[in-house]
Amino acid sequence: MTRHMNLMTGLGSIGGHLGGWRHPRAWSNTSMNLEHHIEVAKIAERGLFDLLFLADGNAVRQLDKPALFEANSPSDRPANFEPVTLLTAISQHTSQIGLLATATTTYEEPYLLARKFASLDHLSKGRACWNIVTGSYPGDSVNFGRDEHMPRADRYERSEEFVEVVKGLWNSWAADAFLEDKESGRYLDKDKVHVLNHVGKHLSVKGPLNIARMPQGYPVLFLAGQSDQGRELAAKHADCVFAVADNIGAAVAFYDDVKGRLDAYGRTPDSLRILPGATVYVGESEAEADDVYDELQSLISPAVGVPYLSKLAEMDLSGYDIDGPMPDLSGDVVGISSFRKNIASMAEREDLTIRQTYERVLPSMGHVVFKGNAVQVADQMEEWFTKGACDGFNLAAPVMPFGLESIVDHLIPELQRRGLFRTEYTGGTLRDNMGLATPKNPYFDAEQVLQLS
Amino acid sequence: MTATSRPGDGAGQMILVTGVYPIGAHLAGWRHPAAYPEIVMNLDAMIDLAQIAERGKFHALFLADGNAVRQMEKRGLFESPGPSDRPASFEPTTVMAAISQHTDHVGLFATSTTTYDEPYLVARRFSSLDHISKGRAIWNVVTGSYPGDSLNFGNEDLPDRQTRYAKSMEFLEVCKGLWDSWAEDAFLQDKASGRFLDADKVHTLNHQGEYFTVKGPLNLARSPQGYPVLFMAGQSEPGREMAAKHADCLFSVAETKEESIEVYNDIKGRMAKYGRHPDELKIIPGIRANVAETHEEAVQLYSELNALVTPELGVQYLSAQIKFDLAGYDVDGPLPELPAEAHGVTSIRDSLVRYAREHDFSIRQTYHHLLANQETPPFTGTATEVVDQMEDWFTSGACDGFNVNMPTLPLGLERFVDLAIPELQRRGLFHADYTGTTAREELGVPLPQNPYFASA
Repeated sequence: MTRHMNLMTGLGSIGGHLGGWRHPRAWSNTSMNLEHHIEVAKIAERGLFDLLFLADGNAVRQLDKPALFEANSPSDRPANFEPVTLLTAISQHTSQIGLLATATTTYEEPYLLARKFASLDHLSKGRACWNIVTGSYPGDSVNFGRDEHMPRADRYERSEEFVEVVKGLWNSWAADAFLEDKESGRYLDKDKVHVLNHVGKHLSVKGPLNIARMPQGYPVLFLAGQSDQGRELAAKHADCVFAVADNIGAAVAFYDDVKGRLDAYGRTPDSLRILPGATVYVGESEAEADDVYDELQSLISPAVGVPYLSKLAEMDLSGYDIDGPMPDLSGDVVGISSFRKNIASMAEREDLTIRQTYERVLPSMGHVVFKGNAVQVADQMEEWFTKGACDGFNLAAPVMPFGLESIVDHLIPELQRRGLFRTEYTGGTLRDNMGLATPKNPYFDAEQVLQLS
Repeated sequence: MTATSRPGDGAGQMILVTGVYPIGAHLAGWRHPAAYPEIVMNLDAMIDLAQIAERGKFHALFLADGNAVRQMEKRGLFESPGPSDRPASFEPTTVMAAISQHTDHVGLFATSTTTYDEPYLVARRFSSLDHISKGRAIWNVVTGSYPGDSLNFGNEDLPDRQTRYAKSMEFLEVCKGLWDSWAEDAFLQDKASGRFLDADKVHTLNHQGEYFTVKGPLNLARSPQGYPVLFMAGQSEPGREMAAKHADCLFSVAETKEESIEVYNDIKGRMAKYGRHPDELKIIPGIRANVAETHEEAVQLYSELNALVTPELGVQYLSAQIKFDLAGYDVDGPLPELPAEAHGVTSIRDSLVRYAREHDFSIRQTYHHLLANQETPPFTGTATEVVDQMEDWFTSGACDGFNVNMPTLPLGLERFVDLAIPELQRRGLFHADYTGTTAREELGVPLPQNPYFASA
């Protein structure tokens, strides 16, 4: 079977560039606008994308930086739907595309989270996907009764136990437990339920879950962490992992490292898909792509650019000379460290000033940028895909909906022409479409052979 | 604003709510030949019910909830679950988000607990549902009365009722504070200036209380209704007080009109000290409606359904409802003495036991009564008969409307919509059509003002 890329894109309607929502072709009224999200989903499904992604957090960010706060950078989300409810609504307007909702293991309860995602999987007929995050933004903690952000090691320890509890809850029922036999009056078979009885360091959860076994067994499990603990958790539990790499060398190194950890857990390399983020500026011509890129760059002043870079680099750069060199960014931070590391190495490698660095970061958000006409962009994606840097991409469109329409109308056909991407959905569930195995239930179908497509 | 219910003045119209869980309210309802053949995790059946209810102009669709599988120790009842056991059901806010995409007017009523959830997460889910449904979100605030729930949240014992209500009250206040985070016009989205939002139109709550410390602000824009409609169900002393202070609507439990009048007057009488007008809280008792073309046909339906319940199952069902194990007692003897206080829902138990004693019921007669009525009075017969009873309650000051449950679905709801609703409308007791744009307008409860920002 030909190896195809897995492609996903964001469900957000403001675009991936900080100036994206201001572009003349951008939607003009995007705040809490369900119709726009539905439209994004339909465009992506027309393009046969595997997944729609909705990032999330539990705080309003940048309240202390008024200029950046008012400019609304793409990952700040001051006003955003709760992901599982939104994706449930979207599921009623789509039929094939996967629905990836972010939820945290640090502040949620496993029983409630297991229910929400099982519900989404049933309601979408097998298209649920969970982006497992530990909540990297320190400001989230003050909305949950904590004075300080939990250190990463503790977050990951809880997260691992949390994932095991949730998987255990999803194994509560045999697939054929609910008989609904009107004749005998047996609604269910009492021998087809399993009580988890989990008692662990962080969590005690008895079970069983009050939802029937879902179409996918478990939702597809996504992880984003790039740290050592994050990579290990991904190797053990994830079906897919995001990657943050701004060049092919870094992507190959990450890919080899994470895939190399799978064997220890008895997993094959193909059972975990690695999907780096990439921002795509694609036009009918190279010039059209360049024009959009330049227009967007011109919308960002230093008053917004410097705090935006400060946010991604996790360091306040406001007191530094904007045309001087980037200060030292080595040293660990509490939140997302992968962007910070990439920014530091890029600035050092290319000897960039602060202004040059934010101008580089704006269009990419710390990821790689693929720019040009469809052939040029497909060339770059093909190189990454065939040289062992990834199994596909998380594609960000800088302006919505125009950027995503350009990807679907120009780039996708080129990828299909090269045999790199599907020409139709083939499966019944998201796992089927992605060629991921449906998990067996260890309590009820131990003999069942793994379904590998 | 649509007309609010004013019992007794003859001018008001009643509020009607019905359940969207497709199992039916009778223990054997799902086994009836006309019942849905498949209901486990069946969204299509729920959409069907929602659309029938919307055709009947119901104000809201109700979905109860809990966080445990119940009755596992009682084989018979576990395998033939009661309507409130729900061994497999959708998480309410997600399924209501789905149903919102197939309906236009009906309010969407999701149950969610204040005992095990986090206020920031609950505030987000309900604000999200309110935006998604364009102003139709309703939160049924529960403290989680089933003791088994606590075992799924690391607690060995269910917290006592006083503690649950104290925590619930603070939880609600935090949620309201979070829903007031943003002015309605905070999001400018001004492409020319680059200001997506106005930094002066956000309020940070900084709540520090006995149970919760929540900074805020909420990361959602103010929702169409300001807050979702707040429904409550508790009828205990702390439950009545919390409803008088915070609720827009209250489910009540009463076996008789007189009992309902007492509850109605008691709770409405508590509102003045919170600066609230009695009309700002709608009191909605549950009833079991079994309407048919003829009285005999309606009675026959109960006979058919009761015949499907064995004494073993009936006794287990009654035991679960009154929180007391009746196994070993003579099924044709009277109910034994029961301990005064039980964890969990006591309003149902109290009214059921009182009714049984007043009628000198045996255990068997009590469970037969329970099967047809559960905690609610039997409104059985022709449309005229059923509507006569509803009118009597409504005009006597016993309620502002009803939570109407049907023994088997979709048959019961279809009959109610086709037979009883036109009769209610003919008498001017029920609206002829939807007139508002949000659930608050339909229900006639006020839109909350944001204390931090003048109304836009």
